[in-house]
Amino acid sequence: MDSLAGKKPLVVWALNLSVLALVLLWIFPTLGLFVSSFRTNEQITSSGWWASLFPAEQTLQLRALDPDDFRIETATGVFTVEGNLFEEGEAADISRWGTSSRAPDAYAVGETADLGEGETITLATDGAYIWQGNDDQISGRGQRMFVVATVPPEFTGDNYNNVLFSPTNSENMAKAFFNTLTVVIPSTIIPILIAAFAAYALAWMDFPGRALLIAAVVALLVVPLQLALIPLLSLHNAIGIGKGYLGVWMAHTGFGLPLAIYLLRNYMVGLPRDIIENARVDGATEFQIFTKIILPLSFPALASFAIFQFLWTWNDLLVALVFLIDSSGQTTVMTKQIVELLGTRGGDWEVLATSAFVSIAVPLLVFFMMQRYLVRGLLAGSVK
Amino acid sequence: MHPALLGVVTIVIGVTGCVGYFYGANLLLDKVLFPAAGPNIGRNINRREAIRPWIFLFPAMLGLGLYLAYPVFATLRLSFLERIPGNEYVFVGLKNYRQMFAEDKFMEALRNNILWLVVVPAASTAFGLLAAQLTDRLRWGNIAKSIIFMPMAISFVGAAVIFKLIYEARPEDVAQIGVLNALYMQFGGDTPQQWLTIPFWNNFFLMAVLIWIQTGFAMVILSAALRGIPEETIEAAVIDGANPFQIFFKIKVPQITSTIVVVWTTITIATLKVFDIVFAMTNGQWETQVLANYMYTKMFVARDWGIGSASAMIIMLLVMPILVWNVYNARKEMR
Amino acid sequence: MKRSLYIGVATAALTAGLAHADGHLAGETITVAGPWLSPEADRVEAVFDLFEEQTGATVTYVGSDSFESQIVIDIEGGSAPNLAVFPQPGLAADLAAQGHLTPLAEGSADWIRENYAAGQSWVDLGTYADATGADQLYGMFFRVSVKSLVWYSPENFEDAGYEIPETMEELIALSDQIVADGETPWCIGLGSGAATGWPATDWVEDLMLRTQEPSVYDDWVSNDMPFNDPKVIEAVETFGMFARNDDYVAGGAAGVASTDFRDSPKGMFDSPPQCYMHRQASFIPAFFPEGTVVGEDADFFYFPAFEEKDLGKPVLGAGTLFAITNESEGAHALVEFLRSPEAHESWMAAGGFLSPHLGADLSSFESDAERAVNEILLNATTFRFDGSDLMPGGIGAGTFWTGMVDYVGGASAEDVTTSIQESWDALK
Repeated sequence: MDSLAGKKPLVVWALNLSVLALVLLWIFPTLGLFVSSFRTNEQITSSGWWASLFPAEQTLQLRALDPDDFRIETATGVFTVEGNLFEEGEAADISRWGTSSRAPDAYAVGETADLGEGETITLATDGAYIWQGNDDQISGRGQRMFVVATVPPEFTGDNYNNVLFSPTNSENMAKAFFNTLTVVIPSTIIPILIAAFAAYALAWMDFPGRALLIAAVVALLVVPLQLALIPLLSLHNAIGIGKGYLGVWMAHTGFGLPLAIYLLRNYMVGLPRDIIENARVDGATEFQIFTKIILPLSFPALASFAIFQFLWTWNDLLVALVFLIDSSGQTTVMTKQIVELLGTRGGDWEVLATSAFVSIAVPLLVFFMMQRYLVRGLLAGSVK
Repeated sequence: MHPALLGVVTIVIGVTGCVGYFYGANLLLDKVLFPAAGPNIGRNINRREAIRPWIFLFPAMLGLGLYLAYPVFATLRLSFLERIPGNEYVFVGLKNYRQMFAEDKFMEALRNNILWLVVVPAASTAFGLLAAQLTDRLRWGNIAKSIIFMPMAISFVGAAVIFKLIYEARPEDVAQIGVLNALYMQFGGDTPQQWLTIPFWNNFFLMAVLIWIQTGFAMVILSAALRGIPEETIEAAVIDGANPFQIFFKIKVPQITSTIVVVWTTITIATLKVFDIVFAMTNGQWETQVLANYMYTKMFVARDWGIGSASAMIIMLLVMPILVWNVYNARKEMR
Repeated sequence: MKRSLYIGVATAALTAGLAHADGHLAGETITVAGPWLSPEADRVEAVFDLFEEQTGATVTYVGSDSFESQIVIDIEGGSAPNLAVFPQPGLAADLAAQGHLTPLAEGSADWIRENYAAGQSWVDLGTYADATGADQLYGMFFRVSVKSLVWYSPENFEDAGYEIPETMEELIALSDQIVADGETPWCIGLGSGAATGWPATDWVEDLMLRTQEPSVYDDWVSNDMPFNDPKVIEAVETFGMFARNDDYVAGGAAGVASTDFRDSPKGMFDSPPQCYMHRQASFIPAFFPEGTVVGEDADFFYFPAFEEKDLGKPVLGAGTLFAITNESEGAHALVEFLRSPEAHESWMAAGGFLSPHLGADLSSFESDAERAVNEILLNATTFRFDGSDLMPGGIGAGTFWTGMVDYVGGASAEDVTTSIQESWDALK
């Protein structure tokens, strides 16, 4: 395998670097999503995700404690509120500060700001402040303060907590997870089985009308899903299937078939003719040839199609909405649950980012498992 | 019943039903209807071999016919009809088609779709082939592959957010949250650009999303094909002193041409149906309309079924060249 | 047979006022489909819980983010839920014309006229032609929103010494004042994924009501007056005076079309602020930065009318309506239940709900701010429904949206309105 690589170190280097470049280009967008899934909505919309990896200078808007509860009369008619802008353990390095949105960086740290008519406020580097004034001034809401501070990188696991474990949601997520599996597994296996038989017939059996059928399969590849929905739902209702698992399996099977047949037939046509001819001469029936020779040889193609069909059905929302999810609320799937979390107006980037990673986990696991079967040994070994 | 248990039971019923059909039908054919024994052995074998292809094909044909062919004919019919109040239809001939071709938005969609058809399959296949070949030789090739494959597993909604984090523009004096604008400003751009609103070029920004997703598909299929090339062929070339580029272009690529064609065709078809990306990111505004989104808008927003169906027929029509070419290939193989 | 018998019984029960008899619907399941997802979905389910307690029926609600296409697919495919919650009267009217909706029980129109503020207008909005062309009442409005609001940060206004404008003239003067101070007055964002452009239609509708008589607005919405009439062009250009003015909008005019409407208001709370005002409907606080308290950190004022035009205090609003898509006894009973004040009060208390129901107790509101919005609704001299929701889908959720994006992008108001009118002609 490394016959080339062993010989020319320069080539090896170039190879490694170019793959690295390609990989970086491809992972960069996903990485952005991944980092974002650990940030709050506000952070996502206020600074670039790459900036979150480093300490950054930010203008924060904070508020002094509520005078009604915390003010102390330090001298006759002089009221004071003392406190710290930061909670224990989340201190930031303050460089400038201010009290008006027009000039958020008016004062240096340690300086005392004069708010007029004797009202003053002083802020120290660690966020401790002293706010002083008369009865009227120290009332209402806590004084708004702006600080320009260097904030260390901050990440939160709340998004994952919210998507996976929040009490209102976790039960539905668990239900949706099993429902999704119930939809996906048969919807992956059935079309592969049906398509493999059909692909073999189209590749290696002689019968009238074969070319026509192949043409039909290719033509049907392009049928836009959206246009099939209403006629098919009417059909399901007419024959009494209605909305349910049976319907959604059949729909996924129908929609997945053309690509499955197309991919598998093209792969099977490429198998060595001799093996099949020899088997026929040896008196094997077509059914035996198919199960004993073709299926094992086609494993890489079957595995790759399985991965894709799995992914499509896993990520599908449209077909599930039309053929499965009825108003009973029992037949929800993962994608539906995630859309639900996004809320009516869908502005929650952090939930989107997080749920994208939650839903990607299973397909990736499947890919890693199936990858073993895609290796060359299987095919090369049986040809020899 | 517990949902997990219910799931398992239904899965077992569904899958065994399917396996049972193929096994049972073949058994019936071989042992009961036309046994390879008795006086008519020759005739029996001929007959059963004539019937068997149809046993193999029957479930697939049923599925294709019911789930794809039937809706196509239903749509074809609808494209010549117009709905009038009271849920009735009247025949209007080619009126829907004429009306559609007179629309600027439709012509724009047609033009853009052709652009997509040229760029996306070519770029995805090229990147996929490159990735398949390069990673094949590396120790960490599987990791690299998984990363390039990962976009396939991300739903379109997720992809739309990802690329929002790339294309987003913020006012000049605020921190940029889109990578492209952050870079652009870093390297001397004057004002942040609204990438998705720049006519013509925005099509390419949208295509980048699909290329990013489809490359994983191309890579996996092509990688399987590359591994199918007999070891001896390559070893022979190495002994003959061929360099890696010669081996790749002269030996490997010709061997997997048929797979490249399949990948190309599949991605072309996926491109023809591209809907979610455009729908989620621009909804066809700023001159980025494509046919599938045009169809969706006509069907479910304007609820004009006649024109919606007519535009679906145009999508079908666009695949004709691929269709003819595939049939030509299939006939060639048979000889 | 059995079904029509049930309906007979149901009508009898309703007219006899027995709708609230305990448990008379025990065992019946009523399915409802609508556009609400969480958290609204939880709130509407709380309303249904009350109904379940009273009647013993089971109500299941399923929300969808693509409700409009979903309900069409389900109805055409024969899997309609019992009730559907329509965010737009236009879609309900289309389905009614195709014979897919069932008229509400007799007497509903009279009840709405008597018990809703501006009752007749709600009846009109829920009345559509059936398959034979005869007008029937199909829609019961439940939950409305007010769109004519301008949001701002009181403390930022205080810092800069700005006053709340009482007239449109003052609002424009304030905008100019902010520009003169070297700041930007407005945050406007039209981005909304597939629905990009809709916030601009609200602006134009609001400005139509502030430049023209309500009857002109009605003619425009029904297309009795062409879309490219000079009166409409004037309103569009008034919007352009705000949105196409680089000095007026944060990020400049170029950013308006692609800035997401959900991100747009956040600019008011940045430090220093990117802008000072944001015109948007009553739902928008959901997209303010976390922890923003409406009434303290953020507040709103009525989007004022031109003093010189003397058009009173017009208010633009919208609302969702319940319609029966698959008739059953329970479906009628549930619509009947929506008449009761407690149905309205339950959601009022949860927040994000306005109601024209005169009998509902306003003290149920979760916050003073919402009570204040509801008062704007009840005090309006003119109330008009969001015009784009009343136009055919292809216009109100199609070319009107895209046309406004083109306009903000630099196309002329004449060209844009003319092409919208052409697309309307094509639909006829």
